[in-house]
Amino acid sequence: MKRILVLAALAAACAQPPKKDYSKLISSNPRAILVVPVVNKSVDVDAADYFLSTLSVPLAERGYYVFPVNLVKRMLEDEGMADASLVHGSDPTRLCTLFGADAVLYVTIEQWTARYMILSTQVTVEFDYVLKDGRTGEELWKDHQTGVYASQSGGQGLAGAIAAAIVAKAAPNYMPMAREANARALAYPGPGFPAGPYRPEYRKDLPPPAAPESPAAAKPAAPRAPGAPQAPAAPQ
Amino acid sequence: MRALHTLGAVAVLAWLGPFGCAQNTMYRWGGYDEALYDHYKNPQKRDDYVAKLSGIIQAAEEHGGVVPPGCYAEYGWALYEEGRIADAVVYFEKESKRWPESRTLMEKLIRNAARAKAPAAAPAAVPASTVEEAKK
Repeated sequence: MKRILVLAALAAACAQPPKKDYSKLISSNPRAILVVPVVNKSVDVDAADYFLSTLSVPLAERGYYVFPVNLVKRMLEDEGMADASLVHGSDPTRLCTLFGADAVLYVTIEQWTARYMILSTQVTVEFDYVLKDGRTGEELWKDHQTGVYASQSGGQGLAGAIAAAIVAKAAPNYMPMAREANARALAYPGPGFPAGPYRPEYRKDLPPPAAPESPAAAKPAAPRAPGAPQAPAAPQ
Repeated sequence: MRALHTLGAVAVLAWLGPFGCAQNTMYRWGGYDEALYDHYKNPQKRDDYVAKLSGIIQAAEEHGGVVPPGCYAEYGWALYEEGRIADAVVYFEKESKRWPESRTLMEKLIRNAARAKAPAAAPAAVPASTVEEAKK
């Protein structure tokens, strides 16, 4: 049995959504997002591809068209742009013109590490997200997420089992933490995007314009009711 | 039978809940992200990945759901890589029709496929002209 400590980084990230200026994102009003290959600053060479696989679902579920990430990656690779930092360094307006995208999402892995200590194992992920406009190249949105899990001996339960799987010594499973980080980065209201055109609340959930310090800023115009069903955009 | 499928899907969603994914999703993803992850982890099992993409498309179409953005194109690309050019074009066209945002890219892929199919032309693996400009 193991007792698992989930460190406070996650809770802190949720409790204090940084105030964001959405004006550029709202006026740019992108429909189609190009997710380019991930720049990896960790020593785990597989991390970039693994993390790339987690981005399409949460972005598309925010109501945007997301270009097929593997197809985009292969096309870039076949043309000698296998190095993600080369892609990140290229002109976003050019990339968008070529693929027909409205905006490019650049994601960087800052940390993807496991530290094995005497009594515990600590797994850390840290990501940087930047969305740039396809017409102007301007930065529309950015976010930064860190997740830390640590295990200690003792404890029980489902949460324990999940975290035990994350920190399993043979091969720590970073994927649940990566997905959680994406979910936090894209949560709205929060640090994430307003709804895209495929969501029913598109253009109805925008923050009040030019009132950054008013109490209303803390309450978005049309918050999603906790129990309200999220109606699908299309018949299921 | 259909009800059973739905029940199964609900049970799976409920089970996945604590893991922070697949709740109240707009699209029937059918494990798209896991399939991609597995593909990157075990590239030698490419057939599994392609079969999974095919399964996602089939399941979504059969149940009247929308095939998630990118899935038709990703499957078409996999067929294209296998040299199944005509089949690939069918899926590029489906992506283009279902998701108008993809039209620019899909039209490039379709044009390139037409060139690849032409006996005289060398079968380029990629729409070279499209990406070449991106390097600058």
